[in-house]
Amino acid sequence: MRNGPLFVTFVVGAGLVAVFFIPHHRVQEAQSVILDWANVVYAFALVLGSLSLWASHQKKFLSRAEGWPYSLVTLAALAFVTVAGSVQGVEEGTLVNKYYNMVNSPLASTMFALLAFFIASAAFRAFRARNAEATLLLGTAIVMMIGRVSVGEFLWSGFPPVTEWLLDVPNLAAKRAIALGIGLGAISTALKIILGIDRTYLGRS
Amino acid sequence: MSDALVTSWFDPTRVNLLVGIAAFIGFILINIARARRGSDMYIRPMAGLKAVDEAIGRATEMGRRVLYLPGLGDMSEVGTLASISILGRVARRTAEMGCDLDVPGYDPVATTIMDGAARQAYIEAGRGDAYRPGTVHYVAAQQFAYVAAVSGVMLRERPAANIYMGSFYAESLFLAETGNLTGAIQIAGCDQVTQLPFFVCACDYTLLGEELFAAGAFLGREPVQLATIAAQDWAKALAAAMVVASLVASAAGHPELGRLLQTQ
Repeated sequence: MRNGPLFVTFVVGAGLVAVFFIPHHRVQEAQSVILDWANVVYAFALVLGSLSLWASHQKKFLSRAEGWPYSLVTLAALAFVTVAGSVQGVEEGTLVNKYYNMVNSPLASTMFALLAFFIASAAFRAFRARNAEATLLLGTAIVMMIGRVSVGEFLWSGFPPVTEWLLDVPNLAAKRAIALGIGLGAISTALKIILGIDRTYLGRS
Repeated sequence: MSDALVTSWFDPTRVNLLVGIAAFIGFILINIARARRGSDMYIRPMAGLKAVDEAIGRATEMGRRVLYLPGLGDMSEVGTLASISILGRVARRTAEMGCDLDVPGYDPVATTIMDGAARQAYIEAGRGDAYRPGTVHYVAAQQFAYVAAVSGVMLRERPAANIYMGSFYAESLFLAETGNLTGAIQIAGCDQVTQLPFFVCACDYTLLGEELFAAGAFLGREPVQLATIAAQDWAKALAAAMVVASLVASAAGHPELGRLLQTQ
């Protein structure tokens, strides 16, 4: 029984790899059914996740840890969404739907808008000409920034083709090299799990 | 017009992928056999992973916690599986050094599995009693809600080390820049090529490409796990050789090898 989860992982993992090479419609339908099971598991895990969230913030609130008012807001929001969603559902016009559109979405958009400032601060740090490589990066960045706006073409018609070359040749070559490594690493990790070499996900070394 | 039902039991356009996977499995088995025989396996040093010990040591000395961020991937993403493996190693080190660990989760399934992996790491380190329930905790399955919560933790609790390992998307720069502002030592590894430049800008060490997937094995130093890294390197060398060979063959007027490597 101890090796039961490993056996299940091997059968399902190896089976789904095999399915990639078998286009038969019955096999593809069976694959869809298996992938749908993941949603059932997810629903149960969401309950566990909500309980974890409640426990973590309840502890912070009760012990008046630093930032406890945020925990209170989280607890109130979790309780409100759970109760209102259970009673009314989540369709158009319901409280949860209004909360999502009027509170959650604007907050998420606000956070996303901050990205511009984070990019500026990161770029400022990255583009300091401390050594030869950083100077090369700075020069490339300047050419890219000028070449990607209309004033760049106005200044010199060669800017857009240069930026295209930078993107399509050195940039793409580096990206593909990294992507190749990621692909091999992903296959290696998947095989380690299917073959039972890596068992950390089962809580075993 | 309805699509005809496919009744074929093998897709011949994917033969090249099948051969590639078979070769890779062969490399792994050969290297595992070498590892079991006790052959010396050279694994190139990775500065980012050597820095993990340094970061945990620094956090211990400062009496602050280590913040481990497993990314936004779910269990269907290999980056998340790699992250779980690395978390097991990091948790073991924090347990051995007596340092606090905090792991805010994004996906509820992955969070539950990581909780088990971290708990087991503490038990294996002989410090099962030191494992705090809530060390691995669920935060939110919404990208910017997660960012807001984790940024708040970074700014309020000022962890001494932030370790980002897994699949990150638009939140990568938010988190890494916020961590940079707090002065924490930052180590990142990500399987999303588009996010790597952000981590390079804002972190002290960044694992590139396959280094994320090698990290768990590298930190564990178990021979069989290291054998998989060696197999990865063999496969990468073979892929590079095939690319160069197809390039030369194409230039010489024989594009057949290049076509053979194309995937459908």
